Amino acid sequence: MILLVDMDAFFASVEQLHHPHLRGKPVIVCGDPTRRGVVTAASYEARPFGVRAGMPTAEAKRLCPHAEFVEGSPRKYVEKSLELLEMFLTYTPDVEPFSVDEAFLDLSKLGERGATREAAVAMARTIQQRIADEHGLGASIGIGPNKLIAKMASGVNKPRGLTVLDEEEFRQLFWPQDVQELWGVGPKMSEHLKRLGIRTVGDLGRAGEPMLEQSFGAVGVHLKHAAWGRDQTPVVPYHEGVDPKSMGHEVTLPEDSREEAFLEGTLLRLADQVARRLRGEGFVARTLTLKLRDFRFRTITRQKALTVSVDDHLAIFEVAKALWRANWKGEPLRLLGVSASGLEHKGEGEQGELFVQDDRKKTLQEALDKVRDKLGEASVVPAGSLMHRRDTGHVPFGAMKRKDGRTRRAGPEGAAGAQAPITREGAASQVKRTLRDQKRKGS
Amino acid sequence: MFESLNDPVDVLTAFVDGAMRPIRFRWQGRVVPVRQVTGQWNRREGQAVLRYFAVQGPHEESYELCFDSRGPRWVLNRAWSGPA
Repeated sequence: MILLVDMDAFFASVEQLHHPHLRGKPVIVCGDPTRRGVVTAASYEARPFGVRAGMPTAEAKRLCPHAEFVEGSPRKYVEKSLELLEMFLTYTPDVEPFSVDEAFLDLSKLGERGATREAAVAMARTIQQRIADEHGLGASIGIGPNKLIAKMASGVNKPRGLTVLDEEEFRQLFWPQDVQELWGVGPKMSEHLKRLGIRTVGDLGRAGEPMLEQSFGAVGVHLKHAAWGRDQTPVVPYHEGVDPKSMGHEVTLPEDSREEAFLEGTLLRLADQVARRLRGEGFVARTLTLKLRDFRFRTITRQKALTVSVDDHLAIFEVAKALWRANWKGEPLRLLGVSASGLEHKGEGEQGELFVQDDRKKTLQEALDKVRDKLGEASVVPAGSLMHRRDTGHVPFGAMKRKDGRTRRAGPEGAAGAQAPITREGAASQVKRTLRDQKRKGS
Repeated sequence: MFESLNDPVDVLTAFVDGAMRPIRFRWQGRVVPVRQVTGQWNRREGQAVLRYFAVQGPHEESYELCFDSRGPRWVLNRAWSGPA
């Protein structure tokens, strides 16, 4: 049996835990509430007002003006997530952190034949109780014979729910439901399926395999199996370590912008963040992706496969800039993102560098990395990336302007910390990075 | 609503069994006793470790204090200033 432990409204619940006056009230976790951004998480008290993660903060304020808008602190949630993982490890060594607030626990290797359904339920109840008693938080747990069913079962009864399904029960429950309810089917795929006459999970289960394969390739066959509740994806315990597939950063701009120097400066900052992560974890990338979202919320992503792998910010920036120049029509932009994929360990399969660095440049890069490792990310930044700080709120290197216009002292968050966007993906990636760091140091 | 402050503060601190705990702090000319520590977490800034404490004052008001080992110094990171 496999358990999926899904923390209920995790970020908002941690804020309510830390600040008791927020308990029982609608809490919305976002970036700086005085600036533009999106909702990262909403407490259960805020949800009846229609507030959802991903919604612009301004819309959330309109829907639920009396909510408490709290600027999120990723590290706060990451630490709690790591504490919870430690607790899960007391039940089984096979724990896969799926996101910052979800983890799979594989009970199939416990005992001679794995945990029975009854044993899994008893363990899940104990885990829920311990999460409540020792951490003051709520969790919903799904139990199933595989990851797919455990994941979907965890969403059946929230918050603090416990749902067990076998394949037959899974089909009884989900076959009448909209096909988009199936894990892995997003809005675009759902539209595509509906154009083929597949509206429910049951329709997908009954659909012909050749037709699905023709429309979706190998994914089509996988989808049909998923509709039957079949999934052979293994739980990958984090002690075995899994290399990241990609590393990326994105930022919602303080206001829609078509100012080239500002957008270019922002791209340089994103490229620098991606490059630092690549080098910090010893990876190089062979594919770079640019993400643009315009003022109408239209999003495009454009990729470039490189002939050689890269890990320095200028190389990443040059590719990102070229993609931006080729695809931007001059419309005001709301969001920019840069990500690197096709990751390889540095030194593995490297054929040379696209942007040849002489030894002096390499030495400089290493020295700058050492300075940042010691003094923090904001200690040295590419000068061009400061272009994006031209406007009101932020002055580089630790000083920030107050709302009344006075410059306030540098805080421990520093200028970079204050600007770091809070996202679920970012926090999840911090959890996985911390685990990889621990593993590296342990080995 | 929470107000971001980053104000340096003097904090009377206890060290018990290797753990650090703020007891009271002086801010804006008054002393605020810490009624309860409701949360703790750390963040690294380069090699420095920043230790954060979510605390409650005597009237159940909320604060977030940060001990920055580089000073060393204490900073009042943010405070809840009542309903928005």
